[in-house]
Amino acid sequence: MRKRTRLFVLAAALALTGVPAAAQQREISGTVTAAQGGQPLAGARVTLAGTSRGVNTGPDGSFRIGAPAGDVRLRAALLGYVAAEQSVPAGQGTVAFRLATDALRLEQVVVTGQATSVARRNLANGVSTVSGEDVQRAPAQTVDKALQGKIPGAVISTNSGAPGGGVQINMRGTNTINASSDPLWVIDGVVVSDARIPSGQNAITKAVTGDNASVQDAPTNRISDLNPEDIASVEVLKGASAAAIYGSRAANGVIIVTTRRGREGRPRVSLTQRAGFSEVSNTLGSRSFDRTSAVAAFGPAAGAFFDASGQPIQTFDQERLLAHRKPVALETSASVSGGTAATRYYMSGLVQDEPGIIDNTGFQKQSVRLNVEQRLGERVEVSLTSNVLHTVADRGLTNNDNAAVSYYMVLSGTPSFVDLRAQNGVFPNNPLGASNPLQTAALGKNDENVWRIISAGTLNVDLRRGEHASLRLIGIGGADYFNQDNGLLFPPELQFMAVDPQPGASLLANSHNLNLNLNANLVHAWNPHAGLTATTSTGFQFEDRDLNIHRVVTRDLVAGQGNINSGPSSTIFQNRARVRDFGVYAQEEVLALESRLLLTAGVRADRSSANGDPDHYFFYPKAAASYRFPDLAGWLDDLKLRAAYGETGNQPLYGQKFTTLDATQSIAGNGGVVIQGVAGSADIKPERQRELEAGFDATLLDGRAQLEATVYEKRITDMLLQRTLAGSTGFLTQIFNGGELRNRGLELALSATPLDRADLQWTTRTTFYTNKATIESLPVPSFITGAFGSTALGVFQVQEGRSATQIVGRNGRDAANAPIEEQLGDATPQWKMGFSNELRFGALSLYGLVDWQHGGDVINLTRLLYDAVGNSPDFALPAGISSPRAVPDCMPNCSGLERVSGFGTYTQQYIEDASYVKLREVALSWTLPRSVLARMPGRVQDGRITLSGRNLVTWTDYTGLDPEVSNFGNQQIARNVDVAPFPPSRSFWLTINLGL
Amino acid sequence: MTNRPFPVLRARAAAAGLAAALALGACGDIDIPEYDNPSIEQLQGSPTPAGIRAAAVGLLIGAKTDMTNRTGYVSMLGIVGRESYTLDVSDPRYVSELLVGPVTNSGAFGAGMWNPRYANVRLGNIILHALDAVAGMTPAEKSAVRGFTKTMQALDLLLVINTRDANGAPIDVDTPLDQVAPISTRAAVFARIVQLLDEGRTDLAAGGASFPFPLTPGFAGLDTPASFIKFNRALRARVDAYTGQYAAALNDLSQSFLNPAGSLAAGAYNVYGSGSDAPNELSNPVIYAHPALETDAEHKPDATLDNRVLTKLVHVTPRSFSGVTSDLQFTLYPSNTSPVPIIRNEELILLRAEARWFTGDKPGATADLNLIRTTAGGLAAIAQPASDAAFITELLKQRRYSLMFEGGHRWIDARRFNRLSDLPLDQPTHIRIPAFQIPLSECQARNLDSPCHA
Repeated sequence: MRKRTRLFVLAAALALTGVPAAAQQREISGTVTAAQGGQPLAGARVTLAGTSRGVNTGPDGSFRIGAPAGDVRLRAALLGYVAAEQSVPAGQGTVAFRLATDALRLEQVVVTGQATSVARRNLANGVSTVSGEDVQRAPAQTVDKALQGKIPGAVISTNSGAPGGGVQINMRGTNTINASSDPLWVIDGVVVSDARIPSGQNAITKAVTGDNASVQDAPTNRISDLNPEDIASVEVLKGASAAAIYGSRAANGVIIVTTRRGREGRPRVSLTQRAGFSEVSNTLGSRSFDRTSAVAAFGPAAGAFFDASGQPIQTFDQERLLAHRKPVALETSASVSGGTAATRYYMSGLVQDEPGIIDNTGFQKQSVRLNVEQRLGERVEVSLTSNVLHTVADRGLTNNDNAAVSYYMVLSGTPSFVDLRAQNGVFPNNPLGASNPLQTAALGKNDENVWRIISAGTLNVDLRRGEHASLRLIGIGGADYFNQDNGLLFPPELQFMAVDPQPGASLLANSHNLNLNLNANLVHAWNPHAGLTATTSTGFQFEDRDLNIHRVVTRDLVAGQGNINSGPSSTIFQNRARVRDFGVYAQEEVLALESRLLLTAGVRADRSSANGDPDHYFFYPKAAASYRFPDLAGWLDDLKLRAAYGETGNQPLYGQKFTTLDATQSIAGNGGVVIQGVAGSADIKPERQRELEAGFDATLLDGRAQLEATVYEKRITDMLLQRTLAGSTGFLTQIFNGGELRNRGLELALSATPLDRADLQWTTRTTFYTNKATIESLPVPSFITGAFGSTALGVFQVQEGRSATQIVGRNGRDAANAPIEEQLGDATPQWKMGFSNELRFGALSLYGLVDWQHGGDVINLTRLLYDAVGNSPDFALPAGISSPRAVPDCMPNCSGLERVSGFGTYTQQYIEDASYVKLREVALSWTLPRSVLARMPGRVQDGRITLSGRNLVTWTDYTGLDPEVSNFGNQQIARNVDVAPFPPSRSFWLTINLGL
Repeated sequence: MTNRPFPVLRARAAAAGLAAALALGACGDIDIPEYDNPSIEQLQGSPTPAGIRAAAVGLLIGAKTDMTNRTGYVSMLGIVGRESYTLDVSDPRYVSELLVGPVTNSGAFGAGMWNPRYANVRLGNIILHALDAVAGMTPAEKSAVRGFTKTMQALDLLLVINTRDANGAPIDVDTPLDQVAPISTRAAVFARIVQLLDEGRTDLAAGGASFPFPLTPGFAGLDTPASFIKFNRALRARVDAYTGQYAAALNDLSQSFLNPAGSLAAGAYNVYGSGSDAPNELSNPVIYAHPALETDAEHKPDATLDNRVLTKLVHVTPRSFSGVTSDLQFTLYPSNTSPVPIIRNEELILLRAEARWFTGDKPGATADLNLIRTTAGGLAAIAQPASDAAFITELLKQRRYSLMFEGGHRWIDARRFNRLSDLPLDQPTHIRIPAFQIPLSECQARNLDSPCHA
């Protein structure tokens, strides 16, 4: 039945194929140049208006195109410029186009289906796009960091300052409680992995019991492997209404990355050399002691560090001794692109080395890419994108621990008067702590080494090509393979290892992941006349994702040797997760009424091995409409109203459908299987997200300004929840589908070019975003998720009728002396704003990006660690106060002593407002004038010198290291817990770009 | 490459090919098995002899689970039976909840000693169903596993009812996960335990010469179907005594491994290891012995203390915490691989003493008591007690020292002879509890008001 339906669609599509092209009877030649500056524009597409027939301009901006006799209209278009049309009367043989820059990106083509796209001016969704240029303005270690502050509707936060990845992207609020929180990354049509695989440092830190890995291991996310320089554009489909066509993995949004392509013309060489450095951008400080206070805090032994007057003999800024480096970072990248009418290529290479601010930390990346497109005759084009990547992230030892080994866990209890520095190459033991963080940093190793290949082949076949109709086949097959090695070595001579019954520990983890993609699409376009285009598309998508993790932890390293077979005691772990998905879709997009009305409807049907029934199809429909009102008023050029509805899913996690036995235990040398506490559900199905969004885009003042506004409501039902079972069943909990979560939000973006003169241009963009997530229905009792499970330390409590990310803590005691537990905060910011401005003055350009988050709370347990040992800078009671006040009486100016005295009874002193304003990016560029270029060797066509910086300044009242923090890594709900994170850094860069 | 357009025919072929691919993809099998762990469905649906062997070993793992941890059976019953303290500065609940009270019906304390027992009962039921379906095992092998499984299930239910007593416990727990069994009375639970033990004995008797899976060294001498019956009968004798069926107890003891001339330590044990073989956690420095164990002890003729006090207890630096103090610790479990008795010869002799007394064989009962007094304690023999009450006093004293901190015997004995008030209170605010409550999750699953009971 299903098969017959699909064949019918195909037959209908074929039948609609139009009449053959009209014969060419004359040739028109011309040029395309930039309206500002007048330089020739290579690679512009010149077409007979209303048809797909056309040619590209050469390096000098010239073109020759065959045309029928009689009057015709030609259209010239180039990404980044406003397309233009001109009439060419019968007798005219030449034409000149002057294209204006498209500051508002109205011409930009936005992907709306698996294989179809629509011009932004018609788009029915609030899709955000970030151009490659915007990604690369100020060097970022990873692509996701480069997107911070640029996408209304997304909260992009780093989990700590550790080198490499560890970034969370939350699109339009809280989308799930227990299912995946990751957006879907699609690079050149291939779904790639953004897995976060913990290093296994938990075997050292003991953040949780046992030797297995933990989410507290500060994992990197694998999108950090990408080379930002390769990116041509990033499109962000933020919710179900835009992402429905991606089906049951799109609930957290879809990020579509397109890499650079070659253009017809001579080889263009682009060289970029960057040099820079980074430095610690914030420290906590510690308490100033005299002998009395030191002895009170650390016991009589502390007295030895003070002189006769009771003052410390010497003091140290322990944090800056740890994060002491201002290392030189270097990045070299080069690309060559070009091509002929038949063959186009883009190849690039990158070598990046950014040492970290702490010894033995840093980030390195190497990348080689080759993108080739080859035409085979008029109708067939094959292309290959291929990327080999290598990243090394040396992460140091941070985050929560129970072994007093992670840097800030120890620094919190290490007063300023002890000397931890190495003497003659030998580190002293920390006299007041279990480890010496300087020694741990110098001698310990926590390194991640990833090799990765992402490659895809695409086949494009113009099955039918007529003046009014075309049918295209697009097939994509791709693979994304990576191997991640985590090597941890903590040798026996470390202070904390020397006293261990099994001194020395080595861990080797090997994780390999293979994502296979195969999809095929048929796109039929029909445009009987210029004002109407109907695009029908259908296709299927197959995916296989296989992640296999092995870890070996070896202790008692006989000779300090790191091989995992050089110690007598080893523990082995393996985890595997594999999912296969298959989906089919069909979509119709109609652009009618002189391109004013866009109507879209589509449906995707998905099945997955992760679902209880792998053969059951889940349907995800979508529909959208937009209508443009051109020239409504003198100042209002164009007003577009739009509305869209769509549904997506969020798959069960691998294994949730299985009820399994635990086979990891043994007795007297014999392995056995026992019941595990969690029962699976054989009927488990994906969570379902339904999103309705509506908005308008207004182009104002002759295209000088544009206002985009979007409101949305998302309802997530059939959430993957755990219910408590009666223990007499033999099980404790069971996964099931239920409940409802609602997100409502608003996104605004105002782009403008207030100044647009030949010598001075100012472009500005302001974005605003707010979201509220509410648990609408919860069929299980309110429960705690994430954090440390104790209200004394603050917990995330999932509760019907409340914000999904509410933080609950203690607020005094009731008459029965039981703690009063109530909401004390919320991890979700009230709103976010981004301000981006670029000022061009002749050859000079100044750019800045400010990222402003208002509200959102962080549970600052690092502060508690400092308070608990009396080492916080504000520990002492304020002048005039003789005994600790109750926390409510001294907030917000409680001293450390008062805060810790109230611990257990109150939590609010450790729940802090995480509002911040960050100067994310600054860049000052000088475009080298021709007079300078002429004096340079070789054929340098263009050049630019840029001074830039990232995260230069943070304004915040938050007392921790950085309000962007998550001890538990990426968490939809239980983020924002600060426990001994890696300190943040700022970076400065000098960049030279040369184009040959 | 010439720029010849693709023939339309080829285009149609491509379209047809795509349609075929769609159809194939739609029909393709995308199922993925569970890679990390064996699935229960497989053990239930298509069992193999190897799967059943692994599950049978799993019953032995399950039997030792939740026994030696701080919130496990031995430690928790030791505290409420005033044999032990857990004095942990980082967790005062071992005093505040178990000694001061009230003991609630949720959390690791009040709702403890429950789930792991029923997990093992569930595993046993899965094995029993799998035995009905498995191919490749002889009838004798199946019968041996069946008898073993029922015996281990009986042991699990016994440990459950020992903690919940008059509150009862569910027994018909072989239900789908969305259904729950009713909470049965104590008498019904004991009846089910007896039924399982008796069926198990019958199955074991038809179980051939050896088990088709390895038992642990903890069952040395009891590790064939025939000898395992002796363990089965020993458990039955304990249940008989708990339910006052003393004639049956004597009969069952005669078929058990009771041996007045043998080692008192002979019997069945849970064994512990390291790595994937979970350790014995009772050698924990925060576990202290109750001082009354020493002050209440008798002296030998040479005026030194009862040998059982001298060998099982040691003086340490005193620790005071939350209003209790002790300077005694146990030496019973010196390492994390020390075995913990399930039932042993010393208890069987004391069970025979009890059964003989209450079936009228008072001289025999006195002889058994004196056997323990002299061999285990080095104490002088006593004359036949003058009354039932005097016998019970002497019996409970011998049981207290012989079975010290081996699994709540003192608390269970005090309760079954209505002598809970003999348990000493360290502070006037402290309480004695007769039983733990049914866990809250059980009440909620049955829509019963909390606390709930049979």
